[in-house]
Amino acid sequence: MIRVFLVDDHALFLSGVKAEFEDMADRFEIVGTASDVDDAIENIRETNPDVVLIDVHMPGGGGLAVINSVTETHPDVTFLALSVSDAAEDVIAMIRAGARGYVTKSIGSEELAEAIERVHGGDAVFSPRLAGFVLDAFAHGLPQPADPELDQLTPREKEVLRLIARGYPYKQVARRLSISIKTVETHVSSVLRKLQLSNRYELTRWASDRRIV
Amino acid sequence: MNTVAAPRRELDLFRHATDRVIAGVAGGLANRLGVPSGYVRAAFVVLSFLWGLGVVAYVALWMATFERVEERSGQLLDNRRQVGLGMMFVGILFLFRTVGWWPGDLPMLIVTTLAFGLAVLSDFDWLGRLLDPQAARPSKLRIGFGAVLLLAGLVALGGALSQLRTLGGVTLAVLITIAGVVMVFGPWLVSLGRALSSERRERIRQEERAEMAAHLHDSVLQTLALMQRTDDPKRIVTLARQQERELRAWLYGAQPGPNGEKFAAALEEAAGRVETDFAIPIEVVTVGDTELDDVTRAVVAAAGEAMVNAAKHSGASEVSVYAEVEDGRVDVWVADQGRGFDLDTVPPDRRGLQDSIRGRMARAGGGAEIDARPGEGTEVHVWAPLDGEEGESR
Repeated sequence: MIRVFLVDDHALFLSGVKAEFEDMADRFEIVGTASDVDDAIENIRETNPDVVLIDVHMPGGGGLAVINSVTETHPDVTFLALSVSDAAEDVIAMIRAGARGYVTKSIGSEELAEAIERVHGGDAVFSPRLAGFVLDAFAHGLPQPADPELDQLTPREKEVLRLIARGYPYKQVARRLSISIKTVETHVSSVLRKLQLSNRYELTRWASDRRIV
Repeated sequence: MNTVAAPRRELDLFRHATDRVIAGVAGGLANRLGVPSGYVRAAFVVLSFLWGLGVVAYVALWMATFERVEERSGQLLDNRRQVGLGMMFVGILFLFRTVGWWPGDLPMLIVTTLAFGLAVLSDFDWLGRLLDPQAARPSKLRIGFGAVLLLAGLVALGGALSQLRTLGGVTLAVLITIAGVVMVFGPWLVSLGRALSSERRERIRQEERAEMAAHLHDSVLQTLALMQRTDDPKRIVTLARQQERELRAWLYGAQPGPNGEKFAAALEEAAGRVETDFAIPIEVVTVGDTELDDVTRAVVAAAGEAMVNAAKHSGASEVSVYAEVEDGRVDVWVADQGRGFDLDTVPPDRRGLQDSIRGRMARAGGGAEIDARPGEGTEVHVWAPLDGEEGESR
């Protein structure tokens, strides 16, 4: 049983997702919902859920503010971003802040359920759109991290991301590359780690730059 | 892609709207340097004794910087600023005296009394009021005190004038009258100007709202009405997707490039057409972008054909399109998880479509590859080199 918390500023969407989860009561328990940033931070800290489904765009700082505040006190809470947003930089910012994946709101219930189970199990969830964003980010303009090993994706990681961007589920990605699903998950997780690590390097540099000024 | 807050410009100086004595230059500088603003002010004063260096630097910085508007609060001025202005005034008096421009103690005393009276009455704040409508009103005590000072000044002036009977006294009287008029009508003029500018703002806002309402009416409301009259769930999904796409294009707008349309936008448009015609969701993901020329137009057309094929024949519930513009070439994959087919037993009509995809890509200097197996979906991959380079074959 995975304890799930929902954050979305659209009440209609919130109740829709909630209803879908009630049909899967044997797998998920909704421990709470919130429709604004402050509410979300407070209630997530209180209920300490396993997975938080979080909207990218919300008044008052958006999902980014929630992730940043909650991970300070509750680093074990896992975030899965769920949004209609098409703005790559917003989504990448969420991932770099620590979200374990990003899915668009048009995702089907069963896919959403699998995505939650996957992030709960410690893996990353890359929807085709996120895979595209990440490929784009590494190809152009992502601030260069200090460590050249984190600088770019390995050819294999790139292949995996490309197949996900082309719309293949993990199972088929594995089959096409003749590797196991576990290996696909490992590649995807390491891409996520690279994104988040480069963030940390960049933040350190940014902070030291400011101190010099 | 810049995801974390952008680093500031190195010399991002501004004038502090609240932490200020005269214009906020020292406050802004202190904020930038991260030291208490008192030190900076002291430095300016000390420098002023060195051939007026502090004053010159202050004025130069004043002219070179802008006030930070977002940090403006309702209470613009605090007592420190009034004390500062008072000190400036006294300083100027001393300067006059030193230089020798001094018509005598009595007239200067009168001028000073009048000036302070006016200042206390008006809260030193004509400029502040012009800039900021929310500045606090002077208290009753202050009005009373100012009025007394002003009256005293006028009485003294009258006495002095009757003694001196100078022409300069008339000028002074005129000035006092003007000051009185400004004091009486100033606030009204300021509030009039304020009302005009807020009215203009409101009008702009209303125009924007009207434009937004017109657009939503023509698009979203019409679609919603249409959906309420439709029983077919597939059609509802199609309508919703179509509307979503239109609204997105309107909100986030795919801007055309300097030479016209962009490749990614054209591909999404092609996907949108197929989505509408065949009532099937098509998920388009693009990495990179380029101008739309003859080659990329061919890629879009071929990919569009592949989408039509997938929508018509695959039986899949969704089609995925992935496009990549990188290293001087453009690649598009059109994939479905549908029933697939056996490439060796292709019916003649599909053979023709394949040829049109392949033929088109060959003419553009690129190529096409079709990967299909019965029961395992179909994927069409088209590619072409950019900038007229020779296409490599895979």
